[in-house]
Amino acid sequence: MPRKALWLIILFTLLFILGINTGDLEYLLNLGNTICLSCIGVG
Amino acid sequence: MMISLRWLIQTLVAFGTNAYLLFPFGSVIYQGPLKAVCHPGLNCYSCPAALLSCPVGAVQNFAASLRFAGAGGMPHLGAMVIGYLGFIGTLVGRLPCGWICPFGFIQDLLHKVPTRKFFLWPPLRFVKYAVLVVLVLLLPVLLVDSVGLGQPWFCKLLCPAGTLEGALPLIFLKPALWATLGFYFWNKITILVLIIILAIFISRPFCRMLCPLGAFYSLFTRMTLVQLEFIEGNCVNCESCVRYCPTGVTPYKDPNSRECIMCLRCLDACQFRALTFGIRRPLPEAEKHAAGPF
Repeated sequence: MPRKALWLIILFTLLFILGINTGDLEYLLNLGNTICLSCIGVG
Repeated sequence: MMISLRWLIQTLVAFGTNAYLLFPFGSVIYQGPLKAVCHPGLNCYSCPAALLSCPVGAVQNFAASLRFAGAGGMPHLGAMVIGYLGFIGTLVGRLPCGWICPFGFIQDLLHKVPTRKFFLWPPLRFVKYAVLVVLVLLLPVLLVDSVGLGQPWFCKLLCPAGTLEGALPLIFLKPALWATLGFYFWNKITILVLIIILAIFISRPFCRMLCPLGAFYSLFTRMTLVQLEFIEGNCVNCESCVRYCPTGVTPYKDPNSRECIMCLRCLDACQFRALTFGIRRPLPEAEKHAAGPF
C-alpha cells in the first residue's frame, strides 16, 4: 500500500473518531429522522 | 461473470438499503438507529423506504449549521462523515459508484433501453468538481439566514436522487405537501427528467458530470488500496476494453483514471488478460519519478 494512502487512512480514522466524540452521530440521527424539505423542493 | 455479479450486488444493495416497507402505516420515513449511518452511495434519506442517511446531504447539513452552531459554542464539523467517506475513498476509490450506488444502478438500468448511444463531451466531467465545491461545501456555509443557518443547496437545486426517491413518493404519501411546492420542485423535476432522458442515450451522465460524491471519491483514485492494472505485454490493441467502459475511460492508457468507477467491465471484455484487478503494489523506484502527483 502506498505510504500516502496509509497516512490518509490514519487521518480519516482519527477524523471519524473525533466526529463520533463531538456528537456527530446524534446530529446525523436527528437529521435522518426528519423529512428533508430541500430534497422535496419546498421553499 | 463480473457483470452478473455486479448486477446482483447492485440489486441487493439498492433493495437492501431501501427495505423499510412500513412507511404507509406509521411514520412516513424510517426513523430508526440505522439513520446514524451514511450510505456509501447517493441515496436520499428522505426516501420513505431508506434505512441509511445520505452522505452528501449529511455533509451539506453539517456545513449549513456551522455558523449557527459556532455562535452558540462547539459546532458539529461533520468530521465523522468526512472521515467515513475519506476512508472508503482511500481504500477503494470510486468502486461504490460502480457497485453499490442506487442512483448509479438506476442509470445503468435506463441505459439498457435499446436505442442509439452517444458519447459524453469529455470536458463536462469537470463540472462535478464545481458542484462539490460550490453547492456542497461553499454555499451552505456562506449563504445563511438571519440566525446563521444555511441550506443544503445541492439537495435544493440539483439532486435528482432526492427528487426521484424522496420528493415524488412523499408528495403522494403526504398530499398536503402539494400546496408548498414551487420553483425549486419544478426545477428539480426538470433536471430529473433531463437526467433520465440523457441516461438512456449516454452511459451514467449524472455520475460523470454532476455527482459530488463521485467527485470526492475520484480524488483518491491514484492511491487506493485496490487498483486496475494494465499488463502491456498481453495487450493486442483490440480496444474492446474502451468500447465496454461505461465512463469513457481508456483503460490501457490510464487504468487509474479519475473517471473509472471500477465496474470491471473492461476485465470481462479483455480476452487476453491485459487487465487485472487487485491490491496496489508499490511502484518500482524508476517509475516513482515518472508518476505524477497522487
